[in-house]
Amino acid sequence: MKSRFMLLVALVLLVAGLSVQAQQRSPIYVYTGSDTNISDWWMNFIIPAFEAEFPQYQVILTIVRGVGGGTTDIANRALAALETGDDPLVDLFEQIDPDSQVEWVEAGLFRELTEEDIPNLVNVNPATNRLPQELPYRGSQVLLAYNSDFVSEDEVPTTYAELIEWIKNNPGQFVYNRPDRGGSGAAMVTRAIFEVTGQDPSLFVPGEAREDLIEQFSLAWDLLSSIHDSIYEGGAYPAGNTPVLELFANGSVNMITAWSDQALQALNLGLLPESTRLTQLQDLPFTGGYASAAIPVNASNPEGALALANFLLTIPVQESVVTEIGGFPAVNWDLLPQELQTQFTSVITDRVPTWPGGAYSAAMVEGWYNNVATNIDRSS
Amino acid sequence: MSLTKATEARQRRTVLAAYLLIAPPLLLMLLLIFFPATQSIVRTLTVDVDGNPGLSLSRYVDFFQDPISVSNLIFTFQVTLITLAAIFIFCFPLALYLRFSTGRLAAAVQVLALFPLFVPGIILAFALIRFLGTRGTLDTILSTLGFTGYRTPYLKPEGIIFALLWEAIPFTVLILTAGLRQVSDSLIESARDVGANSWQVFWRIILPQITRPVLIVFSLNFLGIFGSFTIPYLLGPAAPQMMGVFMQQTFGLYRRPDVAETQAVITFIICAFVGLLYVRTVVRQRIGQEKS
Repeated sequence: MKSRFMLLVALVLLVAGLSVQAQQRSPIYVYTGSDTNISDWWMNFIIPAFEAEFPQYQVILTIVRGVGGGTTDIANRALAALETGDDPLVDLFEQIDPDSQVEWVEAGLFRELTEEDIPNLVNVNPATNRLPQELPYRGSQVLLAYNSDFVSEDEVPTTYAELIEWIKNNPGQFVYNRPDRGGSGAAMVTRAIFEVTGQDPSLFVPGEAREDLIEQFSLAWDLLSSIHDSIYEGGAYPAGNTPVLELFANGSVNMITAWSDQALQALNLGLLPESTRLTQLQDLPFTGGYASAAIPVNASNPEGALALANFLLTIPVQESVVTEIGGFPAVNWDLLPQELQTQFTSVITDRVPTWPGGAYSAAMVEGWYNNVATNIDRSS
Repeated sequence: MSLTKATEARQRRTVLAAYLLIAPPLLLMLLLIFFPATQSIVRTLTVDVDGNPGLSLSRYVDFFQDPISVSNLIFTFQVTLITLAAIFIFCFPLALYLRFSTGRLAAAVQVLALFPLFVPGIILAFALIRFLGTRGTLDTILSTLGFTGYRTPYLKPEGIIFALLWEAIPFTVLILTAGLRQVSDSLIESARDVGANSWQVFWRIILPQITRPVLIVFSLNFLGIFGSFTIPYLLGPAAPQMMGVFMQQTFGLYRRPDVAETQAVITFIICAFVGLLYVRTVVRQRIGQEKS
């Protein structure tokens, strides 16, 4: 009995001692609303690696995925703290769009990041097209995935025109999902729009949609209608990224559009055939995007936040973006180890077109449903 | 005298308590269903297609002039009616079997028939994708048996019908079996005695006695299928679409709440007619019970 009591006292002392120890390390409060694969990657890889290199800091990661407004709520809390001069209790957002709320922009809630603060910013790929407040550190892009057992090397399309031709020559062998049900299908549709508007994604900027551009969408519908009958099962479009990957995995089709991270992760898990190959169009790649971290101006531990931000852009972390989460690095590919570059040579691109969304997306989705998915002529 | 007064007072209290008890659900219905529905109907009639106020039918004219809206409405009717026909074709024999058989096998069949009740629609949809898809379980079994050329119903109207039928079996079988239990054995036996065959027994004796359960099954299934969302969303084709999916798309993706509202009111009116059929059936039954 007595010895048990002593053990308890010793335990309490030990815990107290540990917490004192922990208090000596300065905390960095990080918030994420991203998916499990990202928060797992932070817990198991980034945080241990960072704390090993910077023992003076302790990263406290809070996952707000699916909780209220997620990171938006936390940013609004930081905004309120900025007005009252309180501690916002957040030093770094794992992923947030700093310009998504007018109030944040007006109040200058997010710190502008420079190469003086974060030396590794110099390596960031210009294709990320970052805002001054953004720290892009992981990306994903839509690719073509094909089964090399059935598609020979020399017939693999390298341009969109060749892709359309391949689909026509191989009826039933290609599929993409409905553009509103997942980015991989949307990329097939937006790429058709880019194709008929002169392959210039820079024409499409967020905000007010240009009528003259939307009028040209009908050319894209003609293009996509021309392959409608050659799509899987004579024009059956699945309702999501995953169903498309499944059709590819079970051999129903031999070529699809897929998100790089989803395809790479499925490959690593052995869910896709070993003969799966990934490739990117060479004339103009499919759309993609980068996830950016951001630091609020009133972070109570700016040194820690900047050190962590810089750490995210180091080569080992950027390598793990590819190997651990199947994403794309935010730094230039040529900084990564040679073998990784060789492995991904067919998908490496320095161009990552983006689609502006908003009114353009509404017109894109409605136009596709009314002109491509259906055989009814709306004008009649 | 005072005694009757006391009884009257007690009666009044009971009536008051009864009304108080039904008040919450009644208010909930009025506030959350009738009020917004009326509001929507009024709005579709008083704001025209360009958003100008004034009494007009232009939103409805617009709906019925749009070939895609019309094809979606027709498609919804087609799927609903074919599924209903399939439900009766499948469930009547099942219910008759369960009514007139006893024993372990019948009990097992009963459990099996009720099983879909415990499977959520979304799980069913994904299970069917695996089962019915190209190179799915069914395709594999058929090709081992030497049958090739299987065409999957996944992402086609057949896929929706198949899943909705599966979902409707338990409810339909329950109601039909309950109705069949009320048909007395002696009536059937006497019909048999005068030389009626099985078909005549079914057509002349059983069916006339279970019109009410049949109407209930018809109307409630119609409402469920006509307004279904999950199954057609996950298993159906990109075009044409059932009204549930079409409304959600018009509202959420095309960002046309007015158009979606018109679609909703049209769907609501169609369903209201079928709902009326159900209410009449139930009320008649009540009145019949009170009389007897």
